Order: sequence, then C-alpha cells, then structure tokens
Amino acid sequence: MSTPRFDELIHAPTRLSLVAFLAATTWADFSVLRDSVGLSDSALSKQLTTLQDAGYVEIRKAFVGKRPRTSARLTGEGRTAFDRHVLALQEIVAAAGRSVVAPGPSSEHG
Amino acid sequence: MSDRIEPEDAARALGEIERQREQVIRRRVFPGWFWWAQGVLTVGLTACIESGRGVVVWIGLALFVVGSILINLPVSRAARAAPVNRALAAPANARWVVAVLVGSIAALLGVAIGTALGLHAAGVSYPGTIASVVASVLFAIGGPMLVRYEAAVLVRRSRSRG
Repeated sequence: MSTPRFDELIHAPTRLSLVAFLAATTWADFSVLRDSVGLSDSALSKQLTTLQDAGYVEIRKAFVGKRPRTSARLTGEGRTAFDRHVLALQEIVAAAGRSVVAPGPSSEHG
Repeated sequence: MSDRIEPEDAARALGEIERQREQVIRRRVFPGWFWWAQGVLTVGLTACIESGRGVVVWIGLALFVVGSILINLPVSRAARAAPVNRALAAPANARWVVAVLVGSIAALLGVAIGTALGLHAAGVSYPGTIASVVASVLFAIGGPMLVRYEAAVLVRRSRSRG
C-alpha cells in the first residue's frame, strides 16, 4: 500500500494532466498526448523531458515506415509517485471534509 | 504535506486526474464507418458464397480478406496510439465485458442463422445474403453501443476502485 506523498513536480497543472493521462495508458503516442492535453509540440517535449529527467517517464522513439513515432509511458517510479500524489491529494480533501475520487490503480501494471 | 495546498486546489487536481482517465477510456478508436464497412464486406462475401460459382466465391473471399485488413488498419493504429491500462478495471469486470461480447456475437449469429433458415424454409431466394444484411445492420447499430457500454463499465469501475 502506497503512503501519501505530495509531489511538487507532478502537481504543476500541465504535468498533472500529462501524468494522469499516461497513468491511464500503457504507452501513449506523442500526437495523442499533445491533442489530449492541449499542448504545442515544443511545450509537450519540454514537459516530457522534465518528467524523463526525474525518472518518471520513459520515452521511446521508433520509425513506422519512414515516419518517426515518439511514445511515452510512466515508469514504475513514475506510477508510484503518481499514486502517492493522488493519495496525498485525497488526504488533503478528506481532511477538509469533502468527498474524494478513488485513486487510479495505475501501479498494478508497469 | 496538507498545508502545502488548499483543499479546493487538491479537489480540482483530483477532478483533472479523473477527467484525463475518462478521456483515455472514452477515446474513440473505431471510426463511425467501420461497422458499416465490415457489414458491407460480410454481405458481399455471403452473396458471393451463395452464388455457388467457384470463381465468384474466391474473388469474394479475397476481397473480404483485403477489405477487412484495410478497414482494420486505422482501428489498430488508433488502439495502439494510447492503449488503456487494463489495471483500471477489476478482473471480474473484464470477464463480464468479455461475457457480454461473446453473448452479443452468439446472439448475432443466432439471428443470422435463424433468419437464413426461416427464409430458406419459406423458399425465398438468397436467404443467406438477406440474413447477413439483417445481421450486418444489427452489427452496425449494436457495435458502437457495445463499445460505449464497455467504456462506461470501465469508467464506473475505475471510479469505484480504491
């Protein structure tokens, strides 16, 4: 069972959306991430690099025919950090006497 | 940690996390035309088989295989672009979805076979083709409903799991 831990890196709004999306997938294509989170190519690259540097995201580059295809996924460390962050958020909300949403069981599959 | 952010901010963050999770689950993988295209291919193949002419059957079979590959390409590409983390659903839930899927296919086959046999008994020409039209229309209407049902179950389960 994860212990709650607020994560400043994940909590930044854009990265929170990005990590939440990745947590619900096994891998996600760059274009799907860009369109889903609503970022420009350069902004998404920057955020992914930040998460990659923290060890939270793995980036894979491959070619489909002649076209480059970039995908990303949360690492085990990233999933754990995300789950702990969700628990921390729930704890904050619960402490204030509000209802909370269930944490995503994202760390069950790496 | 709880003194770092306000509860309202935490609640907003949790809402965003849930929104992204639902976005992944409800992401459109099957284009609207997919179901009808698959139906047209099935009707075409059945008509070719029912013609009873060897050459027509083989041409129909070849067109069916090539057509199926072509219409499934964008679907598999879209599915691979962001596969849902199946950990979002409980195993029992996954079994239920598979049971519903298998049941739907069995029902569709039952309707097709029943219709074909009934038409054949009534002496109607091309009973198999007519039955496949009926089954294909049901498939085109029911397919998207099944996909939406699976997504709804996944969303519900992912919300309730703790």
